[in-house]
Amino acid sequence: MNAMNCEKVQTLFDDLSENRLDPETAARVRQHLADCTDCRVLEQRAARLQRLLALKRYERPSPEYRDGFLSEFHQRLAAETQRTPWWERAVGRIDSLLVAGTVQVWRYGLASAMGVAVVVGVMWMSVRQPDIADNITGQTASTNPSVVLANSQTVFPPSGSPDVVTTSLAATATLQAESGDYQATPTGGMDLVPAATRADDTVPRYVLDRITPASYEVSSYHF
Amino acid sequence: MKLKETTNLDGRMAERTGTPVPATPPVTEGEIDLQHEEDEALVRRTQKGDQSAFDVLVGRYKDRLYATVYHMTSNHEDTNDLVQDTFIKAYKSLRGFRGQSSFYTWVYRIAVNRTINFIKRRKTRNQYSLDDLDNAIQTDPDLVELMSHVTPRREVGLTELQQKLNEAMQQLSEAHRTVVTMHDIQGMTHVDIARVMKCSEGTVRSRLFYARQQLQGLLSDYL
Repeated sequence: MNAMNCEKVQTLFDDLSENRLDPETAARVRQHLADCTDCRVLEQRAARLQRLLALKRYERPSPEYRDGFLSEFHQRLAAETQRTPWWERAVGRIDSLLVAGTVQVWRYGLASAMGVAVVVGVMWMSVRQPDIADNITGQTASTNPSVVLANSQTVFPPSGSPDVVTTSLAATATLQAESGDYQATPTGGMDLVPAATRADDTVPRYVLDRITPASYEVSSYHF
Repeated sequence: MKLKETTNLDGRMAERTGTPVPATPPVTEGEIDLQHEEDEALVRRTQKGDQSAFDVLVGRYKDRLYATVYHMTSNHEDTNDLVQDTFIKAYKSLRGFRGQSSFYTWVYRIAVNRTINFIKRRKTRNQYSLDDLDNAIQTDPDLVELMSHVTPRREVGLTELQQKLNEAMQQLSEAHRTVVTMHDIQGMTHVDIARVMKCSEGTVRSRLFYARQQLQGLLSDYL
């Protein structure tokens, strides 16, 4: 039988007192306690402490607690229910109408259906949006100045960044045209019309011309 | 078996709202039958909207939960509030209770977690309010042995001993206090404590070890 060290024995005090050790281990622990005074004192103090703490089991709540608990619970629950949002109460009511066994199925089914609806909605919007934009661009090209802006990439200098900016602005303008309330809006303070298109100051008059430039990124162009 | 007719939960709540709640009504024949129902059956009835079934569960476990929470807070009012909150939380969450553990384990875990959170949030330590002691403590062999033990404080009175025990418990961290409450006062096993606290059995043993070391220092006069 191997001897046990003190640290190991001290972790087994509870198991020994509650008879949860196998006979061989219990015998080794008892042997160690018989041989080691320090561990024996510690074990006695631990047992005494446990018995002392266990006296707290005799503490009892007051009779008022017992008598009034249920009515207080009802009051608090009623107040809590009033604070609950109406939709949450509605879900609870529907839940209570269902038999207990299908509650989880119903809830998971609803959650799944909502998830599928969101995914389908997003897919539908992503497919539909370019079609709408194309249609509106074709229908309003002759009347809406935003479409002129969208087509103005051809007169831009060959550098890369303005093209990108113009394209995104064109998309913004197109979306505004789609909503039917097109108007001049601040677009980062840049006048994006190149000098070559300013030969004629009359038409077309781009609404973005009036926006004060605020970025050095387009400083190579004429304002 | 004759059972009390179920009542619509929201209807019952609406009746209570804003009106003084009478004391617990006299027990009817149906409620007497509910008292003999198993927890699982009462849970199912509550899930279907029968609040009187939940009232039986409240009556069945309020004292046990009170004891657990009181050992951790040492204060009547806090304990009452926490136990009430626990049952309200349990009632509102009962739709999601799937019976993977017993109702008591589930509600016990709610109570412990809420109490730990409460202790963490509490900035200042509250005044202790001592519970009544059951008269049976006078004949407890451990108390008799303690009183007859030769210590410098052998003349200690029960109230003083109770106060010292509560003060010592409040010196512990919330995690240490919880394991001491569960193991040394309520007699739960390491495995069950680990399950409730969602930690390893080794962690439970370690916390117990350090908590007892601290308690032995605090209660050395009585050991």
